[in-house]
Amino acid sequence: MQHELTALTLAALLQAVQFALMAVPANLELGPGKTMSPRDRPRLGGELIDLVSLRTARLFRAFNNHFEALILFTIACLVVHLGDQSSAFTALCAYGYLGARVLYIPAYAFGWTPWRSVFWGVGFAATCAMLVAALI
Amino acid sequence: MTELSILASYGLLVIVTLLLQATGSMQQLGIGYLLSSRDDSHTITGMTARLNRALDNSVVAMALFAPAILLLVVTDSTTVQTLLLAKAFLIARAVYLPAYAFGIIGLRSLAWTVGFVSTALLYFLAL
Repeated sequence: MQHELTALTLAALLQAVQFALMAVPANLELGPGKTMSPRDRPRLGGELIDLVSLRTARLFRAFNNHFEALILFTIACLVVHLGDQSSAFTALCAYGYLGARVLYIPAYAFGWTPWRSVFWGVGFAATCAMLVAALI
Repeated sequence: MTELSILASYGLLVIVTLLLQATGSMQQLGIGYLLSSRDDSHTITGMTARLNRALDNSVVAMALFAPAILLLVVTDSTTVQTLLLAKAFLIARAVYLPAYAFGIIGLRSLAWTVGFVSTALLYFLAL
């Protein structure tokens, strides 16, 4: 499989891992009674993210952030692949994105400032570069 | 312009939206808060808050638009009509951003509708 598509598949699997990293502690902290409920705000006393511990809330935000990044990255990978614009540069960008998004998770969970922002920036710049490479 | 280059261009438009929103947030909340783990929530106001809502809306639109284009390209069903609709989507979303940022009532909703209807029609043509 082409490198960009491998990286895209791994990035999607990373999102499944991020879901587990967020959902397991959230269920342990709140109990399935709350997480399986319709999560009506008056009954819970707020949003789920506001009721969990500091670290779980960070993993929650990291998970949500990757959705946005993953949509853009999916477009970048598929446009590069379908437009036959794949090169060593776009492959490097794709793996750079994947590595940065893996490191983003502990950086968020453990509050590594400013490294979380640096890793986010690397993933963002890699996606931008792939989109620009697809157009030129 | 092909459907694929329109999709790549829309990705770049979303990136520009994000950069504008981030610039505004930096001014309102300070770089220190943005670099932190953001454990306490802060609210942004004015044009930056509008750009934030525009960004959220653009990401949802992107999640719907991208599969339609990719389906059409992968199944080789692109036509003059699909290219026209893709162009209409891109132009509508390019209008949507300043219409939201500057609070032009009516125009923002019109641009959103053109983009939404274009996306829906692309799915019909993909079938």
